Amino acid sequence: MPAETHVEQSPMSRAEVFALVRDRLSDILEIEASTINEGDSFQDDLDADSLALIELVEAIEEEVGERSVGFRIEDEDLEDLKTVRDAVDYVLARLD
Amino acid sequence: MADLTEFGPRLAELVGRAGHLPIVVDAMGGDHAPGEIVGGARRAFEQLGIPIILVGRPDAVGDRGEVPLIEASEAIAMDADPTTSVRRMKDSSLVRGAEAVRDGKASALVSAGNTGAAMTASLLRMGRIRGIARPAIASPIASPGGTPTVLLDAGANAECNPEWLIQFGQMGTLYSRLRFGVARPRVGLMSIGEESVKGNKLVKDVHKLMSEPGWLDHVDGRFVGNVEGRDLMSTDVDVVVTDGFVGNVALKTLEGALEGMVKALEGIAGGDPVILDAARRLHDALDPEQQGGALLLGVRGVTIISHGSSSAWAMTNAIGLAQEMVRSGFVEQLTEVARLTAADTTDATEG
Repeated sequence: MPAETHVEQSPMSRAEVFALVRDRLSDILEIEASTINEGDSFQDDLDADSLALIELVEAIEEEVGERSVGFRIEDEDLEDLKTVRDAVDYVLARLD
Repeated sequence: MADLTEFGPRLAELVGRAGHLPIVVDAMGGDHAPGEIVGGARRAFEQLGIPIILVGRPDAVGDRGEVPLIEASEAIAMDADPTTSVRRMKDSSLVRGAEAVRDGKASALVSAGNTGAAMTASLLRMGRIRGIARPAIASPIASPGGTPTVLLDAGANAECNPEWLIQFGQMGTLYSRLRFGVARPRVGLMSIGEESVKGNKLVKDVHKLMSEPGWLDHVDGRFVGNVEGRDLMSTDVDVVVTDGFVGNVALKTLEGALEGMVKALEGIAGGDPVILDAARRLHDALDPEQQGGALLLGVRGVTIISHGSSSAWAMTNAIGLAQEMVRSGFVEQLTEVARLTAADTTDATEG
């Protein structure tokens, strides 16, 4: 088997995933995307409540699902997503 | 307007006549689904000429006459967890119904199913109106001698912050005006006394905000202070604002009290046909089913949440209400109110 077929490329880069999370959060929370940073806490910095997080994961599932069939964010994992970085890391790990 | 040819010529004809997109009806939701739901939808379609699309399992729906169907393989149970169900049952009748509105195939969704799931599906699929923090359920309460009182939130948000209640007041005022034709609706804040010092922290904080001028200007309403539970059926107030926990308790208390009152009246009637007739008429006059259902305010579409025990007759009423709200332009007007309110906030911040 040719070597290049072993190289599995992530369908999305870290920058793309961050941009996706940031833009969806911007829509949901109605704040400027440029004010959202990777280190921001959903609750403490962005004032995002549980419903906003559900809106976010639904939006991410829909968009990432179009590029990676079967992609989903498990309900039991939601409480581990405390920051924007957590969400980006989670999506990237699931895409690996 | 969306291409509806897949649903047959009869629907297209009714859409043309009604001047609005079809109303999608969740055939699988409710204690008496799908039989009573389909019966009510057929009556609205065949006798009233309202354009309708049912959504549900083809093998379960039964004889639907000429009413078209969007196929959905799953049904969310009445007692299922709303968020998990909506997230995981993508091919459920509620999710498919909300998507039909989102995708421009329908103008409204009517369901007698799981209230929380109907709200979640509408929120996640149709989306919130920009500027609206939380959707709320508005439930009309019969008010003998006057127009019904709009109670909100009747159960969508058990815990609220003060700003959400301000928006509930604005949304309820617009609803009271458009649905019941009330000029300058009187808005009251539910508390345990009329005095502003009474109530819990939320009520006191909201009272302070509601006492500020201007917050009802874009919907043309007026704040009349605190009201109590006993005012719900009075003619002294048109819109009663509260959080979803208190609102739902108040609504269910009223329903239970009505049933108890009617039973008591029947008990003392001793077979007297006059009293029995009065009991029946009392029930009919105050029965929540008479009101057609509750409207979910704040999402980008009309969602009517009908009583779980809805009969075919109640479903026809709910469908009629959905049509009324589509024609009133409620969603479009609320979108404009939210835009104007956001602009006010921006001006105040920059000024």
